[in-house]
Amino acid sequence: MASSQPVKPPLAGQPAQAQRGSQAGLKYPSSGKTIYNRPLNRSRTQELSQASFAYLFGEMVSYAQKRVTGIQDLEKRLNVQGHPIGLKLLDLLLYREPPRAQTRPLNIIALLQFITTALWRHLFSRPADALEKSSNPETPDEYMISDNEPLVNQYISVPKEMNQLNCAAFVAGIVEGVCDGAGFPARVTAHSVGKGEEGELWPGKTVFLVKFQPEVVEREAYLGKS
Amino acid sequence: MVVYSFYIFDRHTECVYSKLWARQDRPISGGGTSIRPISDSSATSNGAPPDLGPARARPARLSAQDDAKLIFGTIFSLRNMVRKLGGPDDSFISFRTGQYKLHYFETPTSTKFVMLTDTGTLNMRNVLHQIYVNLWVEYVVKNPICPVEHPGGEGVANEKFEMGLETFVKGFV
Amino acid sequence: MSSFYILQTSFPTADKPQLCGLVYQRDFTEGLNKLSVNDYLVLAGTFHGVHAITTRLNPLHPPNEPPSGIEVLETEHFRLQCFQTLTGTKFLLFTEPFQLNTDKIVARIYELYADYVMKNPFYSLEMPIRSEGWERRLVREMRVLNSR
Repeated sequence: MASSQPVKPPLAGQPAQAQRGSQAGLKYPSSGKTIYNRPLNRSRTQELSQASFAYLFGEMVSYAQKRVTGIQDLEKRLNVQGHPIGLKLLDLLLYREPPRAQTRPLNIIALLQFITTALWRHLFSRPADALEKSSNPETPDEYMISDNEPLVNQYISVPKEMNQLNCAAFVAGIVEGVCDGAGFPARVTAHSVGKGEEGELWPGKTVFLVKFQPEVVEREAYLGKS
Repeated sequence: MVVYSFYIFDRHTECVYSKLWARQDRPISGGGTSIRPISDSSATSNGAPPDLGPARARPARLSAQDDAKLIFGTIFSLRNMVRKLGGPDDSFISFRTGQYKLHYFETPTSTKFVMLTDTGTLNMRNVLHQIYVNLWVEYVVKNPICPVEHPGGEGVANEKFEMGLETFVKGFV
Repeated sequence: MSSFYILQTSFPTADKPQLCGLVYQRDFTEGLNKLSVNDYLVLAGTFHGVHAITTRLNPLHPPNEPPSGIEVLETEHFRLQCFQTLTGTKFLLFTEPFQLNTDKIVARIYELYADYVMKNPFYSLEMPIRSEGWERRLVREMRVLNSR
């Protein structure tokens, strides 16, 4: 363990390291290699333990559950926790794209495909299971991303009295962050659909409902014509 | 196979006979020399604490009498639990911890035979049954000098029974 | 025949004494007698006590390893495998007398417990387990075993 090694006395020739070591509160590895020293585009084999994530996420849900007024409020809090992650991931993932494709998605379909492939792969090591446009003519601004088995919900059993709740609201927050960051403001909500006959196969199936703001749809229609 | 100890409880829940074979204070070098019988039957009658040799040096160790009481409490609780779950005709045969195995046999008259062995030992129910048939019935029940009840272990630890048990246990160890 | 219990001993604190609780109990097939909820609780308490006593009856001197309580109990009608975690939670599995590899089955159930009970943010410690995900996977595991 790097932190257990004795701290080297600061040497005259290494002012930078001496300064780093003297900062209280934050622990720096003595080699000076923090995650900030890693190249941003090294994305392979950067996997985390699912167990540690599960414990962390469990605590995040418990934290969000404190002083909460209802299920909607709880989902809102989880959504808010995910939102900044989405904003940051948009930048990071675009940076990691091959140089030619390093542009911000300019229409809804490109954005959603970026989300279901690049974002999903980065977060869960697999693409999302489906992407559909709402078939209802009254809601042309709604799109649905399906995940048969959301990774964040793997170990979570929601009690019966809270069956409206889906903790993947956190992931919905991330998606919302990406949409907002790309200039496509939207509301994203997570819904459990693994109840009916499909429920046998995928009891945890979740649909992320992406509802874009009216101005986005308006702009899209205008751009499509020209 | 190692036999650590052997107990008989009568229907009044009293321990009427107990015998401890050498505990593993030192590695057993093989052969009968290491089997050092320490009989403390009728311990309550003379009141003197049984000499447990080196084992007494350890304060955490329970006295042999307390051991017997704990063993009875255990088998009594387990017997009731097993009957509750498995039905009135069920009876427990043995249990094993990481260190020892306890074998249990109960006669229709509620006399209970208990033997503690090492964990590798297989089912000893037959052995306990033979002790009951060939030693208990022969040398205690049929002995005209032995009383019908054995308060304080009276009459159980007679010479023939002790000898018989010794040879019998040595025979299958 | 199999049936499965989880017993827990809570840590005593200033405002509550040590409790011996039964946090989960389920029968998977017929075989064992059905008891009332209260009887199961009494049984759990008894087993806690017996388990503690059996650790003290160790005839080996000096103990060659930290003493453990009952691991396997055999009766004419069933076999009980008990596994105790380092924190004192006990897993009790009742099977037919000649069921093999019961220790492995319990280890597998422990894994499910660690995943689907302990990682669930809606489970409060020392309370009865009512997690749908745990229930579903446990039943599936047992169905596979019982169909063999």
